Amino acid sequence: MSGILSGGWNFVVAAYALTAFILGGYAIHVVREIRR
Amino acid sequence: MFERMKRKTIAVPLALIAIAALFLIAGSFYGLAVAPAEVHMGDVQRIMYVHVPTAWTSMLVLTWAFICAFTFLFTGKWKWDSRLEAAVQMSIILSFLLCMQGSIWAKPTWGVWWDWDPRLTTMAVLLMAFAGISALRHFVEDPLKRATWSAVATVIGYVDVPIVYFSVKWWNSLHQQQSTVSTISRDFLIPLFINFAGMLLLVSAIMTIRTRTAARRLEDEIVPPSLLVQEAIA
Repeated sequence: MSGILSGGWNFVVAAYALTAFILGGYAIHVVREIRR
Repeated sequence: MFERMKRKTIAVPLALIAIAALFLIAGSFYGLAVAPAEVHMGDVQRIMYVHVPTAWTSMLVLTWAFICAFTFLFTGKWKWDSRLEAAVQMSIILSFLLCMQGSIWAKPTWGVWWDWDPRLTTMAVLLMAFAGISALRHFVEDPLKRATWSAVATVIGYVDVPIVYFSVKWWNSLHQQQSTVSTISRDFLIPLFINFAGMLLLVSAIMTIRTRTAARRLEDEIVPPSLLVQEAIA
């Protein structure tokens, strides 16, 4: 850990997890939609 | 005269999604584990390796939506309406994601989840505008009216895009101004560009598939039933 801000890994993990969830979820939805 | 569109497979876009996932995994690994922590902001700055590529990609997708809308209005070709539908939906996803990532970034750096700062406010307006266009497409049943009205609304809504971009220069904003490549360390640029390449590939592949879904629905709406019967007999 470095920098003026202490910690911050929880926010970093949240941002990456949210990005993966939204983009991954939408990609799965679009693929399922065309295969229906 | 309507022509039955060819039912293309989605093998190529699926392969692109797989390649994009590899890029994103590599870029995220570099950003999280290899790149050093930034001197002033510490580890929180690593959020930038997903936030900035999302911002760049969203600006490109919004511009693509504008191009699709403008081209439909001038040519009247339905393929541009299908492309517009995919672009509008992707714009909403990316704008929402951008606001959420920004909010996660704002809490540890600014001390608040949200602020009615010019950049954030104009971005929220853009998200609402495109959500409205999507709602309009959902509720209007007539294909021609739906295509024309949503194309006009997209052209009007796009006016907010340059305002979002220049908001940090025009007004006193909490949001930092855009950095340039020359002012960023190579260690920070590598994950930024790998993730941008991955996100651009992913979004292009998703929009390609979504455009085909929109084209199929449109085809079912506008192809005369007699033509469908003839094709079924043949």
